[in-house]
Amino acid sequence: MTHEELEDSVPLYAAGALDKVERQALEAHLLSGCASCHSALKDYQSIAALLPLSLSPITPPRSLKARVMAERNPMPLPAVTEKKEPAKPSLEPGEWMEHLFPPVAPARSSSLPWALGFAALLILAVGGYVAWSLSTQRSIATSNIQQLETSLQEKSAKLADVSREVADQAKTLAELRNELEQRTIEATAVKEQLARREAELEDTRVELTQRNAARIGKTPQDELATLLKIPNVTAVSLTGSDMAKRAVGFLLYDARTQNAWLYSINLPESPPGTTYQLWAIHDKPVSIGTFNMDPGETSHLLTKKAPRFAAAKTFAVSLEPSGGRPQPTGPIFLLSRS
Amino acid sequence: MDKASQYTTSMIDPALLARVMTGDQQAFSQLYDHSSTLLFTLAVRILGNREEAAELLQDVYLEVWRKVSRYDVGRGTPIAWLVTLTKSRAIDRLRARASRGYGSTNQLESETAAQMADPGPSPLETQADQELRSAVGTAVSGLPQAQQQAIALAYYEGLSHSEIASRLNQPLGTVKTRIKLGMSKLRESLQQWRNHGDLQ
Repeated sequence: MTHEELEDSVPLYAAGALDKVERQALEAHLLSGCASCHSALKDYQSIAALLPLSLSPITPPRSLKARVMAERNPMPLPAVTEKKEPAKPSLEPGEWMEHLFPPVAPARSSSLPWALGFAALLILAVGGYVAWSLSTQRSIATSNIQQLETSLQEKSAKLADVSREVADQAKTLAELRNELEQRTIEATAVKEQLARREAELEDTRVELTQRNAARIGKTPQDELATLLKIPNVTAVSLTGSDMAKRAVGFLLYDARTQNAWLYSINLPESPPGTTYQLWAIHDKPVSIGTFNMDPGETSHLLTKKAPRFAAAKTFAVSLEPSGGRPQPTGPIFLLSRS
Repeated sequence: MDKASQYTTSMIDPALLARVMTGDQQAFSQLYDHSSTLLFTLAVRILGNREEAAELLQDVYLEVWRKVSRYDVGRGTPIAWLVTLTKSRAIDRLRARASRGYGSTNQLESETAAQMADPGPSPLETQADQELRSAVGTAVSGLPQAQQQAIALAYYEGLSHSEIASRLNQPLGTVKTRIKLGMSKLRESLQQWRNHGDLQ
């Protein structure tokens, strides 16, 4: 609305003829400090307050004063709630005077309008400052809120990154832990396997030792040295017969293992189809085992189990047909001294 | 003689309200005596019913008694405060009644006729009151009937200019002009009366 339109609406305002929107527009204009409209409103509202005087007076019932005087409280109570509150009270006592001005009376001080104008301007100035201050504070607060929101979003993004990193590291740690467990299991298995291998190796070593012991005759010095290391061994010497005068034999017997070793030297080559056979003779000859002397061989070691060897008193080696015989049938080549 | 000191109704001394603020019952009784006829007349004019007007006035005076501390002499005369408070409460009651579907035209007409038939002044009314009443009456009656009607519909029935235009079946601009011209003439007439009084 233009100023002219607003100024035109002042008499309508004083008469109470403006609708709500127009009334608020004019009030806002008056609060903005328009002196001419303010002055006009003072005049028109003072006239409006006099209008009821144009009515023919009606005296209220006499009982009304008695009721009024009886119902009021002993003391004025400004803060007491009203007994009957209208649905939409248009004005409160005192509030209406913000825009209503009394008629210009001769008794009234001429400085009052100026004082009122100054007060209105002061109110407007303070109101404007407060509005500006509130607006500025609101802008600052809004800006701060936006900055805080931005900062919060950045922090949230960083937190999300850190969370993802932590999750990745946790996943990696879990994988490493699983791998470690698998490695530990594998290491245990390897260790067990190693233990088994060591056991096998030890067995192999023992077997090798036994085998070496079994093959001890191939090297006379070593074989003899090995035999002589056996404690409590019984040694029997055999002498060559007329069939082989240069031949000698040593028979060793270990009672603990019941093993017997015949170490024969310089026996002649056993012809094809024949074999040497060792006998233990107690009451009758008992075969201990057979062996052959290959061409060029000068010594031979025979190793056999001989459970009944301890009871024998005489030992002999005869040349028998291949496979041996239950009893001696061929010539004697070695014979112990009984 | 100073004119202000002669008015009992139109120029109630603000000091009287100051005494009421202190709980002075005698001051409150005087305030009632000097204002009740004018306020009751206004309430009857708006509500069109004496009983309802009396009920309203009872509420208004109780409110005055309770809220008298809110009165600010720097912003208006005591009688202007009382008139505006009574008018506001009466218009509120009138609108509440209208929203409930009650019509008031017939009652209003009958009470208006009663007002016209009961011109007797209040026993407490002074010569100064009568002079002011006469001046205002003359100013109002000097207005064209259409302007009186438009101002009365706004002032006593609380209608906006568009509602008045609808009620009278007149263009809105016409109604606005009537009210503006009427208020302007009242302003000029009373200003002349004041100046004349001052000269006397």
